[in-house]
Amino acid sequence: MKNFRVWKALLKIRFQNLMMFRLGFWGPFFVDGSLFLIQLAIFDAIYANVERIGSWGRGEMILYIGTFSLINAVNMVVYFFGVNGIAGKIRSGEMDLYLTKPVSPLFRLTFECMNPGSLPLLLFSAGIIGYGIRTAGIRMSAERILVYLFYLVLMIVLYYEMEVLLRSVAFYLVSNARMEQLEEAGLNLCMNLPGIAFYGIYKVVFYGILPYGIMATLPVQGLIGELSPGMAAHGAGIVCTFGGITALAWKKGMRHYNSASS
Amino acid sequence: MRKYREVMRVYLKAQLAWRADVVFSMIFTVSKILFAWLLWGMIFRERDLVADLTFHGMLSYYIVSSFLSQLEMAGGISGEISARIRNGTLSNYMVLPVNMEGYFTAMEAGVVLFYLSFDLLAAAVWVFVFRIRFVFAHSGTALICGLLMAVMGLFFMVQLNFFLGILTLKYEEISTFLMIKDNLAALVTGSLVPLSLFPEGLVAVMRLLPFYYVTYLPSMLLIGRCEDEAARGLLVLGGWCVLMQGVILATWRKYRTKYDGVGI
Repeated sequence: MKNFRVWKALLKIRFQNLMMFRLGFWGPFFVDGSLFLIQLAIFDAIYANVERIGSWGRGEMILYIGTFSLINAVNMVVYFFGVNGIAGKIRSGEMDLYLTKPVSPLFRLTFECMNPGSLPLLLFSAGIIGYGIRTAGIRMSAERILVYLFYLVLMIVLYYEMEVLLRSVAFYLVSNARMEQLEEAGLNLCMNLPGIAFYGIYKVVFYGILPYGIMATLPVQGLIGELSPGMAAHGAGIVCTFGGITALAWKKGMRHYNSASS
Repeated sequence: MRKYREVMRVYLKAQLAWRADVVFSMIFTVSKILFAWLLWGMIFRERDLVADLTFHGMLSYYIVSSFLSQLEMAGGISGEISARIRNGTLSNYMVLPVNMEGYFTAMEAGVVLFYLSFDLLAAAVWVFVFRIRFVFAHSGTALICGLLMAVMGLFFMVQLNFFLGILTLKYEEISTFLMIKDNLAALVTGSLVPLSLFPEGLVAVMRLLPFYYVTYLPSMLLIGRCEDEAARGLLVLGGWCVLMQGVILATWRKYRTKYDGVGI
């Protein structure tokens, strides 16, 4: 209940702050919206020349892009701008302020920079998903929708865990620019490439070590009925494993943190 | 000219301070090649040709286009000018006894010259690692035109980014536009997929724009394709460079007086 009151206060402060810059308010929507529109254009161009990529047709690919866009939209609305500042706050010693507040530092960092300006991205993504379902001619059932929603929530959690984990490196190193570069490269690759394209060592890397490859793939496979029990268990296992690693890295990192000199 | 050579030399040397950046930027060029390798590998399992390119032709395109887009680092110019105008420190550049656009062009040339050999090395390593049977132009004309066009393309991107940077004098906050520009540029320069995959009507429109000649056409020329478009490409891109220079001069003259050196 206390956390809910804190969350409400953080949202109110953030809203007041964002409304001062009206164009900046919608900025993330325009930037990310253009990114996913471009992705749709690219795959439209590819599918104008080929019928299928692996087992996926144009509809499944649109659904994949829409799902990745939705995961990214939740990230942008809820936690990206807060979590993204973690490394800077550790480096500058600003984390001290968070330690003195009567609320969990990670909770406050996660929710203090929510971005309502990205909310239209959720509708935009839902539109792409609907278009993908229609194009692919997927026969919907309650079971498939539930599996899709379940893995969608799991993958949103995984996305959050990855963001926090990669930024927790800043507790131990002077700069975590490389980690952010690694994240950007992994995300850029997997936003454009569905997990079904990975095999061998690439599958090990993008399904297990940097699991961006399963993020939109598992929900889509759930919806189109391609999700095997093994992959379903793998997805849930990865979320739990990374949850544990992230919690441990954050806890140990906070102990390692010794103000501006860390 | 000596002053600009000196600026170029300073920035070339300054890159040596960021050795880890060089190594990591080389390593991360793999993501584009890996994307092409996995995506097109899956597609070419069922066919031999896509948009008149074989699997190795397609990968050769990605090697060259990734090399060229890696060299295009002019995006920092617009960000730098915009930030300087916003915090009131553009004066640092204004007091220099050089033309500001010339300064940024020389700066970009120094950085590009430094990265040139490393990016070439990275491209060679990926050709070897992914066992690509690299397709290269046999015609000297195509090679010369491709290289010349690549240089002109880099210059055009410097001009474009300088122009966008000075627009901060009028619009105050342009970071959103810059990010959208980066997204769009990746598509229209052909660094994500070859533009020949798009419908012919759309490609015809793109031929009128400068971006077609920044990465896509030089890459195609260097892999021995589209030689018939080379001369027209040089002309169109040259025309755009002249036009952009006129726009820059007019914009700078009109809005320079809005800068008061105290930030926004």
